[in-house]
Amino acid sequence: MRVGLLTEGGYPYATGDARVWCDRLVRGLAQHEFEVYALSRGPGQEGAGWGELPRHVGRVCTAPLWGEPEPRRGGWGGRRQRRRFAEHFGELAAGISAPYGSGAPHGSGVVQDSGAPQGSGAPQGSGAPGCSTDQADRFAYGLHGLADLAGEYGGLSAALRSEDAVRTLERACRTLGAPHGAQRARAADLLAVTEALERALRPLSLDWYGDGAGGDPGLSGVDLCHAATGGAAVLPGLLAKRRFGTPLLLTEYGVRLRECYLAGPAGAAGAAGTAGTEGGRPLSGPVRSLLTAFHGRLAAEAYARADLITPGNTHTRRWQERCGADRERLRTVYPGMDAARFAEIGEQGAAPSEGDDRTLVWVGRIEPPKDVIALLHAFAEVRRWQPDARLRIVETRRGEDPEPDGYPAHCRALADHLFPDEAADAHSAGDSPVSFERLGDPEVPTLADAYGAGGVVVLSSVVEGFPVGLVEAMFCGRATVSTDVGAVCEVIGGTGLVVPPRNPRALADACLALLSDAERCARLGAAARARALELFTVEQNVAAFRGIYLELMSHCPVPREEVGEGGGPLPFARPAEAHVPGRWTAGRDGDGFGHRPPGPAASRPAPEHTPTWAGPPPREPLGVGPRPSEEGA
Amino acid sequence: MTTPPRWNGPFDPASSDRGLASDRGLASDRGLASDRGLASDRGPVSDRGLASDRGLASGRGPASDRGLASDRGLVSDRGPVSDRGLASDRGPASDRGLVSDRGLASDRGPVSDRGLAALSGAARVPVSRVPVSRRPDEASPRTAAGKGQGKGRRGPADPVRALMHRHHDLCARAVDPLEIAAGLEAHGVTDRTAARFRHRDVFSLAEELYARVPRAEEPAPPAAPAPGRAPVVRLTLAALWLLPGALCAATASAAFRVDAIRKDATVGLGLGAGGAALTLIALWLCLRRGPLRVRGSGRGGRLAHAFGTGWLLGYAAAGDWLLTGLLDGRRPYDAAPAAEAAVLLALAAAPAAWCARWFAVRARRRLAVSRGLEEFAAGVRPLFASVVAAFLCALAALVPTARLTVPGPPPAAAPLSTAEAAVVALCGLLFLARLLAVHGFRRAALSGLAVACAVQAAALATAAAARLPGAAPLGEPMARLTAAQGAAAVPVAACGAAALVLLIHAFGALCRASAHGDPGARTARTARDTRTTRTAPDRAP
Repeated sequence: MRVGLLTEGGYPYATGDARVWCDRLVRGLAQHEFEVYALSRGPGQEGAGWGELPRHVGRVCTAPLWGEPEPRRGGWGGRRQRRRFAEHFGELAAGISAPYGSGAPHGSGVVQDSGAPQGSGAPQGSGAPGCSTDQADRFAYGLHGLADLAGEYGGLSAALRSEDAVRTLERACRTLGAPHGAQRARAADLLAVTEALERALRPLSLDWYGDGAGGDPGLSGVDLCHAATGGAAVLPGLLAKRRFGTPLLLTEYGVRLRECYLAGPAGAAGAAGTAGTEGGRPLSGPVRSLLTAFHGRLAAEAYARADLITPGNTHTRRWQERCGADRERLRTVYPGMDAARFAEIGEQGAAPSEGDDRTLVWVGRIEPPKDVIALLHAFAEVRRWQPDARLRIVETRRGEDPEPDGYPAHCRALADHLFPDEAADAHSAGDSPVSFERLGDPEVPTLADAYGAGGVVVLSSVVEGFPVGLVEAMFCGRATVSTDVGAVCEVIGGTGLVVPPRNPRALADACLALLSDAERCARLGAAARARALELFTVEQNVAAFRGIYLELMSHCPVPREEVGEGGGPLPFARPAEAHVPGRWTAGRDGDGFGHRPPGPAASRPAPEHTPTWAGPPPREPLGVGPRPSEEGA
Repeated sequence: MTTPPRWNGPFDPASSDRGLASDRGLASDRGLASDRGLASDRGPVSDRGLASDRGLASGRGPASDRGLASDRGLVSDRGPVSDRGLASDRGPASDRGLVSDRGLASDRGPVSDRGLAALSGAARVPVSRVPVSRRPDEASPRTAAGKGQGKGRRGPADPVRALMHRHHDLCARAVDPLEIAAGLEAHGVTDRTAARFRHRDVFSLAEELYARVPRAEEPAPPAAPAPGRAPVVRLTLAALWLLPGALCAATASAAFRVDAIRKDATVGLGLGAGGAALTLIALWLCLRRGPLRVRGSGRGGRLAHAFGTGWLLGYAAAGDWLLTGLLDGRRPYDAAPAAEAAVLLALAAAPAAWCARWFAVRARRRLAVSRGLEEFAAGVRPLFASVVAAFLCALAALVPTARLTVPGPPPAAAPLSTAEAAVVALCGLLFLARLLAVHGFRRAALSGLAVACAVQAAALATAAAARLPGAAPLGEPMARLTAAQGAAAVPVAACGAAALVLLIHAFGALCRASAHGDPGARTARTARDTRTTRTAPDRAP
């Protein structure tokens, strides 16, 4: 089976995100043939080259999402093409200049000030936030119209940079009902938006979709499209789904739309992939408004058409649900991590060497979001009750601190202030109970050694995404005390203590409880290791995707003409019974694209041609792992 | 703080702005109340808001005795409410100070309280008797948001407001609620934190923040983008454009002087050839960077451009001599007009670059301040006209300079000859074509050059064809034209017509906003084309 892996700024390149797990996935599923379709984010990335690819990667296609567009080829500019372009781009622009995200799908009652007719019949809870089905449909219509146009004539980039496009966008922004941000767009803003759109829509005019004449099949030859990230990488998948019926699987370990929001004000280059850089200058309000609306609508479109969406954790899942993803098609697949590094220390169990069970370990980068200050204050509290406790702070960043007066130096100064050197008696040299070490030092050569050096591992962050350090500690079989941030509760389940963030006293109490009860430590550590081995290994990740691939393949096969030996069509090669009239997911009725009519699944009338007994069975949203709600935090 | 308004009663005309404010509060907070669906939950808060509002209005200024007295009288009727009113008096007051620090309208602070009070007036009385201690959730937001409140003191009436002030910049700048949600999450706000603010999740909390915080005014567009280099460096770079002209002028004058002295053509020829090569190299180096650099054109387009320009330059050098020779028979080649044309062309590089740079910078500046495309176009049209006029004026000034370098009549005396007019037209054509190509209209630029080349080639071809037996009538119009206006009339017509066409086109094309795209994107080097690689032999399906 051929899998088209769609990436953006990631996998085959040696630098970039989403690279490691893609590599593990491809290596782990050697029975499938992979074709990698990659969009690169910058000259640095292309310059760095590719990582090593396994043999079963059939081919790699790359295209840049940066720099000047390709010079125009072919006959573009005829009156008919221009009219069609203006129509489709006008729809797209109307879709993104409508108020986005300001509405409330959950009945908060915030009234949109849009003059456009809202889908008044649509019940609450359908579609993207503030995104009436009308606007979403206009966006989708415009997007696919542009894709068709690019497929027929090519050279969409030139058209998107033309005056027609800018004028169309201006008209859309000036219509009644456009949000305030879009109304105030200046000429420079409009230009910036069209250029960013041109870069974002470049996948539409690539030659990845096969020429249909028996030559290079491209994406028309794959059996499954797997988009490794959201954003521009799903565009080829959407097109393949529409043109060839290829099933689309979307995996997001971080929500691209959220990155777009976070990167927008700072104007950080490349974080949003396509959200424009303007040389590092912060983007103006109208530009951000329009571009985030574009990415939001694109995400909503991708969520609506994908056959299955696999978020990496509950946080991602919440964002996806918020942006209109159908709950029935969401399936959490936790990222896999390499457990072999920690096997030795984990197998020993929580039986650290003498004296270490009084040691707390903190591993990570010393940065303000990690709140090492609170950790130090908490440890001061611990020392009041347990004077022989020690704290080892292991910095994972290599090399010296970038700035001498930064946060790490501040933490060191505070530690020196709070914990002066202590000696056992009057004749020996003293030592501070808090030690700052760096990974790679002789004492802590590896991460496993760092975690193994103490009895309890502490995580004191105030901001955290997916807590990698916590999972590593779990692999090591260590009892943990962590703050309730990000996906911590979800990861730890019931196998560690969780305290509120910014609460040193609670942190100290939890640490004391564990330090004084070695047996509980051992029990929690063993449970944590068992949980991590079940949920967060590479093997479970690969196994989950193996199952999903087969499931998607069997439920939504690509409709292909069966071809005989001589290349002629082979009638009746596929029996009529091969097509089961039942629907696999509830989202596949509706229009031809898999757009479902608004409303929750239960309230929708069943398709009329399907008898009731052949309808879809009631389906629970599946998580690969046990859901955190069952585990209890 | 502004002067404290007196509390004169609810219908006093002096407090009409308050009425307006309460309207606003009502509008912004109605969604909130209905969102939670907990109007009764809101009751105590709004009640307190009312009490504190009155206390605030009366207790702020020195002239507060009346208001305070009446307030106390009012509050003391209620008994248990009085301490609450007084306690919460300070919460909003401090908020208010914060707000006015940030430059908001000073009456913005209590707005929501008033709105809420007006909203749930019905629910006020019964719930207000609920003792304070029965609502323990009031204490929790204080730990997260209401820093600075003493122990045992009540938190602010509205827990969200503290959060609103803490993340005011984020909320005021946000383009939609999801941006606030993303920012809040980046600051460590989770769904559990949101629950303490009586919201289901971060998204609904962000929605309330988005609805309540007024959008910040967009900062004024940045002034002219700061030049990347020091003024001295920029002046030096601009002066470098004089180099080709200086080299060419020096070469020409030196060669003619040497010829005049030595009566031997070889030295002058060698000098001229060397100088011409140096000039071309300098010109090429100048064109590779700076305002006249054409980015991202394909190899074919580049070749076509080079060929067209080469043809035009070649015709300027020897075309007239060739045409006259074809029509009237051979005569010796006179290098003086060609040298003068070369000097004029090389000298014109500098004003061309300066004009192009000026145009680009001014247009970009106008782009940043224009509200719409029409406004931009209206502003750029006179700019473009003045750029073209400035270039033509510079050419007119350069013609006497070029005359100085070749032996001939004193420069100021003679009017513009036809040959010089041809060179001026050629300069204009090349300038416009280059300007169009720089701004992305390579095809138009190439067409202009091609038209001029075609006319010149046709003239030469007819003249040559007329020499064939029996085809003499073909050369008749050309012969008449050269007889009347001189051989230079052909390049004048060709280049002039092409330049005119290009000028008309450029007037439409270069005054559009899309011609002045983002300079940041333009500096990026051209991306390579799509690449496909097979790492393994393709297994046929």
